[in-house]
Amino acid sequence: MTGFLTRAARHVGFQVGAVLLLLFVGTALVSIFWTPHPIDALQMRAKLMPPSGAHLLGTDHLGRDVLSRVMVGAQTSITVGLIAVVIGLAIGVCLGAWAAARGGWVDEALSRTADLIFAFPAVLIAILITSVLGASAQNAILAIAIFNVPVFARVTRGAALAMWSRDFVRAATAMGQGPLGITLRHVLPNIASVLIVQATIQFAVAILAEAGLSYLGLGAQPPVPSWGRMLRDAQTYIFQAPELAVWPGLAIALAVLGLNMLGDGLRDLLDPRLRVLRVG
Amino acid sequence: MLEFLSRRLAAALVTLALATVVVFAVVEVLPGDPALVMLGTDARPDTLAALRAKHGFDRPLGTRYLSWIGGLFTFDLGNSHAYGTSVAKLIGDRLVVTLPLGAMALSWATLVAIPLGVFAAWKHGRPGDWGVMGFSQIGISVPNFWFGIVLVLLFAVTWQWFPAGGFPGWREPLKSVHALVLPALSLSLGEIAILTRVTRSAMLDTLREDYVRTARAKGAPERRVLFRHALRNALIPVTTVAGLIAGFLIAGAVIIESVFRLPGVGQLVYDSINNRDLIVIKNVVILFTILVLAVNLVVDLAYALLDPRPRVRA
Repeated sequence: MTGFLTRAARHVGFQVGAVLLLLFVGTALVSIFWTPHPIDALQMRAKLMPPSGAHLLGTDHLGRDVLSRVMVGAQTSITVGLIAVVIGLAIGVCLGAWAAARGGWVDEALSRTADLIFAFPAVLIAILITSVLGASAQNAILAIAIFNVPVFARVTRGAALAMWSRDFVRAATAMGQGPLGITLRHVLPNIASVLIVQATIQFAVAILAEAGLSYLGLGAQPPVPSWGRMLRDAQTYIFQAPELAVWPGLAIALAVLGLNMLGDGLRDLLDPRLRVLRVG
Repeated sequence: MLEFLSRRLAAALVTLALATVVVFAVVEVLPGDPALVMLGTDARPDTLAALRAKHGFDRPLGTRYLSWIGGLFTFDLGNSHAYGTSVAKLIGDRLVVTLPLGAMALSWATLVAIPLGVFAAWKHGRPGDWGVMGFSQIGISVPNFWFGIVLVLLFAVTWQWFPAGGFPGWREPLKSVHALVLPALSLSLGEIAILTRVTRSAMLDTLREDYVRTARAKGAPERRVLFRHALRNALIPVTTVAGLIAGFLIAGAVIIESVFRLPGVGQLVYDSINNRDLIVIKNVVILFTILVLAVNLVVDLAYALLDPRPRVRA
């Protein structure tokens, strides 16, 4: 652990990522208790105002404070992204570990199913789901989670297979331990670092996906503020108030950049040889 | 070689067959009554019954599935619920916008990313490399639709060099290409970033090879070493990723076409979601899947031509 901290102290990318992530999570936490203005305070006489002392980032087309809405938007991003990644991680790791432990037809069937899901781009899965179940934050989470399952399954399977051929796992098999026991005691603890790195990257991908879906109107529904939808609204008023289209996009970019840098940094610090899957 | 390709083709066809089952299940079985989804819960029973009869929702599931698959082969995809016209024609009219958009974005991505990646690998561990990697990190993190909006802010609102959106139609080819410049740029940003990384790491691998050292020892000029010896072999993984990216470009077009109000397939999907036009959605999703699988097959072919090894492994 001290070795990790010493190396972390020298890794600039990791530090920048960590600071951006703290800023992102901190903003979301603060916004639960406090925002400069109530997020739904309509002021039709003060709409599309440029930045001022009272409204640091100006007001939107309904006269609502943009800074407050950007702050609460961080909550939406984190909630949707985190739940989607945790669901994908939980199911994907189980399936991947199962495929690696059993091999044979289980492995073949799971790998082909993963290929099938990869043949559908994530946006299309989301479109299919929302077109049938309706647009909502829950359905956006479901769509992003479905896409995350094969990502984690594939990464887990690859890393776990490598573990199964190691001597200490063979020794455990020889001592009569069952596949479940070996997976829990020997395989999973040893592949935790690759899962942590992949989860960080997937969190970034999930935030981008959530932003894209809510831009299309398929994510969190009004009055819940979401960065994607704010951009959609801002685009309508791009000639009157161009700066409105800047802030939510900058927030998305910084949050995603922070997670990506943290993920790459973690990979360098934990194990530079790790291969990270990048699909979006 | 032939065996390798026929195996890949067979795998793609199996994937496609499974995809049709999944799409059919999600669109027509999962919601219970597709007519209810399309018309809403407050629809009158007689209008519901009429819609069921019109689109054949009253027939048994197996018959419906088979007649849809049959239609896919003959391009008879039924009529759109919202537009009332043939779905095949509707999609065909929109493809003439989406395919050129995707092609422009992909060519732009390869043209920019490969030289950038080669440059970064050449300057490995020095400021030039850090600069390219920093750019790539930002490119992966910036949402492409926001990049599109920023491009509109700069080049359409402030300087007015390009239109903020819309598409004049191919009867005016120059204006049409002009209208696709900003959308293609925004669509390619993330792909440039990923392809740059892949090119860089593939180049770093090949630059360590013995034949590169031999070429340098012979006194071959650096440019020749980089482009003739190293890049040629590095192109194998780059082609694979470029193919994967092509699939995602098609899907990314859904959002970008919405940003620039382009009348492409993406915009059709978006409108169809709002119109709850399940007939169009079902067929467009399968079309996108076919495109992704076709691109992957082309990549496999290119792969087999560039590198003899997978032929043996298959």
